[in-house]
Amino acid sequence: MNRRTALKQMFIMAGGIMIATSCDFSSKSPSIQLNQIKLNHDDELFLAELVEAIIPQTDSPGAKELNLHLFVMKMLDDCTSPEDQKKFLDGLKAAHQVKGKPLAEQQAYLTSLDKDDIFFNILKRRTIQGYKNSEYVMKNKLVYELVPGRYNGAYKIEA
Amino acid sequence: MNWFQEDTMEPIKLRHNKMANLNIESAKDRSYDAIVIGSGISGGWSAKELCEKGLKTLVLERGRDVQHVKDYPTTNLYPWEFEHRNELPYAIKQENPIVNRCYAFHEDAAHFFVKDKEHPYVQEKPFDWIRGYQVGGKSLLWARQTQRWSDFDFEGPARDGFAVDWPIRYQDIKPWYDHVERFAGISGNKDGLPELPDGEFLPGYPLNVVEKYFKEQVERKFPGRKVISARCAHLSKPNQIHLDQGRVQCQNRTLCQRGCPFGGYFSSNASTLPWAAKTGNLTMRPNSVVHSILYDENKGKAVGVKVIDRETKEEIDFYAKVIFVNAAALNSTLILLNSKSKRFENGLGNDSGTLGKYVAFHNYSARISADYEGLLEYKTDGRNPAGGGYIPRFRNLHKQETDFLRGYAAGFGAYRSSWSDESGLGADLKDSILSPKYGNWGVGSHMMGETIPKESNYVALDGQQKDEWGIPLLKISVDYDDNDAKMKKDYLDTMEEMFTSAGFTNIRRNESSQAPGLDIHEMGGARMGKDPKTSVLNSWHQVHACPNVYVTDGASMTSTSTQNPSLTYMAFSARAVDHAVNELKKGNI
Repeated sequence: MNRRTALKQMFIMAGGIMIATSCDFSSKSPSIQLNQIKLNHDDELFLAELVEAIIPQTDSPGAKELNLHLFVMKMLDDCTSPEDQKKFLDGLKAAHQVKGKPLAEQQAYLTSLDKDDIFFNILKRRTIQGYKNSEYVMKNKLVYELVPGRYNGAYKIEA
Repeated sequence: MNWFQEDTMEPIKLRHNKMANLNIESAKDRSYDAIVIGSGISGGWSAKELCEKGLKTLVLERGRDVQHVKDYPTTNLYPWEFEHRNELPYAIKQENPIVNRCYAFHEDAAHFFVKDKEHPYVQEKPFDWIRGYQVGGKSLLWARQTQRWSDFDFEGPARDGFAVDWPIRYQDIKPWYDHVERFAGISGNKDGLPELPDGEFLPGYPLNVVEKYFKEQVERKFPGRKVISARCAHLSKPNQIHLDQGRVQCQNRTLCQRGCPFGGYFSSNASTLPWAAKTGNLTMRPNSVVHSILYDENKGKAVGVKVIDRETKEEIDFYAKVIFVNAAALNSTLILLNSKSKRFENGLGNDSGTLGKYVAFHNYSARISADYEGLLEYKTDGRNPAGGGYIPRFRNLHKQETDFLRGYAAGFGAYRSSWSDESGLGADLKDSILSPKYGNWGVGSHMMGETIPKESNYVALDGQQKDEWGIPLLKISVDYDDNDAKMKKDYLDTMEEMFTSAGFTNIRRNESSQAPGLDIHEMGGARMGKDPKTSVLNSWHQVHACPNVYVTDGASMTSTSTQNPSLTYMAFSARAVDHAVNELKKGNI
């Protein structure tokens, strides 16, 4: 068995993030390990609502089902400056007023935020990035080819 | 592929049982016919040629081992399998301001780059020194562009009165270009341009419909200027010699920086090193930091190489009749500078005082981009490993015609953009993302300017600071000059004129403030020349005053031309090995 297969048997790949299935989460911990920022399980559930408000389930899976809230958390933790992390967490706290509210109300809240709002920008940008680069979209919608095996420099677009 | 000779298993013993082994090991057991310092593009070629000619060859690589395919951990990963979707974490970017400026430093290939803190150096002036310390070196990471030099390049210094005259001309190197191209696999078209000689090509990759349009426009309106398919080290259609290396046709992935499981592009790991290993004459020793070349005052020649084991810091001497220095331009120069003896107090072969000086590079500090609103019924399909078009140098080609010396080549590429409205939220946003619209064509070009080697652009050993292997840090003092500034402006003006003339719109000039080094085409430091009083190497890449030491990488460059240099290093290495083996046979070295 090669290393990759072994790893795949140990972990479930979900939205590209490894979720350890054998860990016993306390009700307070998020389902991925965070090193820089503190979020609890409730925050995670709320973020799942928010990413779903950005890219909802329609006839195809939405952001929550694709675990994009975990991707947003991962990128916030690893790929964001401390200043922006703080602004995001402040923004998340402020957004709690729409926690558990209907999707439309959550969308209205997000739309009402300033267009330079760091919390909103990170949330939306990472959700879209995670969506476009998700296994689901790259296999079923905007298909990514790892091995094209060809190049045509004058491909006629069908009208 | 196993680097290690199965009969002796010597390097494995050295690695695992070093202390005990060394104590009983005699110098004879550490003796080879040839030593090659470095396993990148030029070192790989030196090793292959030496091994094929029957010499027992030790290759010393300062970094870790990287075996073809097996050690390309990211090569087959889909985008969603990268934890950060190929973005590097904030902390890594903060810790690595230098290497983070390199275009290929991302999650998929970061493991092949030297991190800033691992190998510090002293910047008297800003210099982005991009390095790859592993078996295969930067040959895993290079941009794979391969154009021959011509006599317009080799005669440049003599014609325009800078540096010193090259001791060779195109006819000296032509057979060796043929030789390395056949083996490495170079795709290109026979364009019939004297300034960019044709080679032993595999089929070229096509220009796309807009690149072709630009070619027609330029060649009609600007006589003397050409746009051709970029020539590159990819197997567009492999020959038997490539299949024999275990390589197959390039699959147009353009994920080359991860290492290619098909061997679709040329690297030491895919090509020259396993080929050398197959002869049974290769001993590869990774984790071997070369401290200096050992010079024997009585014999009047070099006798070996002092190595510091990267992991144990142990000092080990290896011996050979001939030594090839292929550590990449600045590190090869560093090794020579640090090889001090009674005979060479200021570094091996430094009688002229030019060692470390006349360092030059390629000026990549300007780009230009635009839109094209025509040919919208077309797009591209698949991916082009050549990257698009190449504009050979036309400026000051036949005679001096501007207020700056030399000129520039340029890349040119066109891509069909697509976009989706991402302003909304919810189901509309989702629909929009899933149904992107075609936009205009985007076009872009970057300059590759020749810079003039100068005594004031130099590298030297730092007087105080040493690295963790006890080797002085390299001090780098290299900068642009007025000639570069004038050339850059001319490039932008000229390209803008050509873009405008082709009907491109929304033209955007981009002057980057990037430091020298980021071009990763640093050259010189131990330049070739006819006169031992003004150069370090002779016409065969031998150190003038120590002819059993050959330097065949970027350090040897007398001038820089505008062409990407790697192909020329390959040809230099093969040519020099042929010379060295003949000289050994004759007893001359």
